[in-house]
Amino acid sequence: MVVDLRHKDFPQEASAAPIESLDNQQSVVLTVEKLALSLGGKEILQQVGFSLPASGVTSVIGPSGAGKSSLLRCLNGLETGWSGSVQIDGSDIRQWRGGWDQLRRHVGLIAQKPLVFDASIRANVCFGLHGWRQRRRADELVKTSLQQAALWDEVCERLDAPATTLSVGQQQRLCIARAIAIKPKILLLDEPTASLDPRSKQLIEQSMLQLAQAIPLVCVTHDLEQAQRLKGQVIFMCDGRVIEQAASHQLFNQPQQIETREFLRWNVCDCD
Amino acid sequence: MSVASQQYRYTPGKALVLLLALPALLIPTMVLCYIFWQAAPVLNWGFLFGTADGVGFGVTEGIFSQLVGSLLLAIMACLIAIPFALGTALYYRTFATPWQQRLLNAMFNMLQGIPPIVFGLCGLVVLVNLFSWGVSLLSGAVVLAVVVLPLLVLNTLATLERIPNEYSEAGSALGLTKGAIILRLWLPRSWLQLLTGLLLAMARALSETAPIMFTATVFSGVVWPDSIFSPVTTLQTHIFYLAQEGNEPLLISIAWGSAAVLVLLVASFGLLARLLQKLGDN
Ligand SMILES: Nc1ncnc2c1ncn2[C@@H]1O[C@H](COP(=O)(O)OP(=O)(O)OP(=O)(O)O)[C@@H](O)[C@H]1O
Ligand SMILES: [Mg+2]
Repeated sequence: MVVDLRHKDFPQEASAAPIESLDNQQSVVLTVEKLALSLGGKEILQQVGFSLPASGVTSVIGPSGAGKSSLLRCLNGLETGWSGSVQIDGSDIRQWRGGWDQLRRHVGLIAQKPLVFDASIRANVCFGLHGWRQRRRADELVKTSLQQAALWDEVCERLDAPATTLSVGQQQRLCIARAIAIKPKILLLDEPTASLDPRSKQLIEQSMLQLAQAIPLVCVTHDLEQAQRLKGQVIFMCDGRVIEQAASHQLFNQPQQIETREFLRWNVCDCD
Repeated sequence: MSVASQQYRYTPGKALVLLLALPALLIPTMVLCYIFWQAAPVLNWGFLFGTADGVGFGVTEGIFSQLVGSLLLAIMACLIAIPFALGTALYYRTFATPWQQRLLNAMFNMLQGIPPIVFGLCGLVVLVNLFSWGVSLLSGAVVLAVVVLPLLVLNTLATLERIPNEYSEAGSALGLTKGAIILRLWLPRSWLQLLTGLLLAMARALSETAPIMFTATVFSGVVWPDSIFSPVTTLQTHIFYLAQEGNEPLLISIAWGSAAVLVLLVASFGLLARLLQKLGDN
């Protein structure tokens, strides 16, 4: 396929209707339409539209400051001042039963900056569980969550040690375990392997692929190879807009938009 | 010449600064020494734990009922103020709009600057007379609570301010409710500092005299309050009344003794607060 590189003035609305690139067999669980967000007078997201299949990983790539983290925060309800529509299983998340708190249990978010609570490792993993009784009897859950986060082997001896004594990479994995423990139905990960060694990275990726068999995962990453390894679909964001959404092999081999091509080739983006 | 020896060389400028700084160090020390020197003759266990017989004009050697009266008032005042202080601070952090936050901030800073005697006067008019609570433990405690409230609120706010936003957000992201975030994230992290603030408020309540003078205390005639509606005697006002008697040496030495005990009491609360603060910082 040939893309005319001189054709600079892409119609912007083209980015809002990329659904045809999805695997059509899969049902859609989350649909975002015309999502816009301004913070402090600055437009951070504009006209964002995409959809998530019922399972599999969706990687979000794009230059720093593109609004990837902000997008995840909107989907999880940490940012509530957005406009547009976000629907999960056909229901608007603004009218979610039980309000934002319940939505956040449904849509887990692992933040970009790992932040553990001043408590033991075990307590951190159980932190999101309801009721102290559940938190007490969660040994099995703690184990499986930590295993999925590729942290169990390193901390199984010292589950009652303060979580703040862990290294940054370990804290990052603890945050993953903490989010997995509440069994979200959609999981958003913001650069989950940013401070990890190749081996831990690989373990986390394996866990992600395993989790993605049952639930949709959204993974923001700067590691393009990781996005390729995670298969699934890829969303390319730039300057607060979704430029392209496509299956990973397609986006990396035959990008449709000129911005995507530029980003992939030079890792720079000239969106305006 | 090494840097260290340079530091210890005297220059005229250094001498001048030292001269100006010295009074600030010496005067409080001298005052303290003088208090304890004057108080020494009467300070003993009998003085501390004896009680007035209720008829003599304070010419009894014991100050135990005054000590208990002061503590009772301070504790009650803090107990009354705590829920309101916590409520205000939590409102400020969780629901208040930026505009309301500015208003609250300005208000409590201003409240802190109001002379306590003004609150005493309001207490006299409203609580003692209008509500007919009389000169009583309750009236005094409520007035004192108003006096220490800004201190408690501002301290609680400063404590909550030290909790980073990301910390609460990490809790939010896990689907914790506001209540759960407050109880399970904020409280464990800040209870030591809150306690420190409480002790400082206790010290403040113990040293206030003006607001309780018309609302809670009498000079004599009371040993133990029978209910929250009966008046008490306190160390602060005891010193005040005895000092007014002026020329009776025994009374004056009792006043010095009371002053020494009061200073020790306030200082111990202050020290305990400092200790907790150190603990909290580690
Ligand atoms: N609270 C805020 N107030 C104002 N501007 C904000 C706020 N949060 C984020 N922004 C701005 O929004 C833009 C997108 O930020 P965001 O964190 O979503 O980027 P990102 O794509 O995650 O970048 P990175 O890859 O570096 O993490 C940035 O330009 C940032 O300055
Ligand atoms: Mg980010």
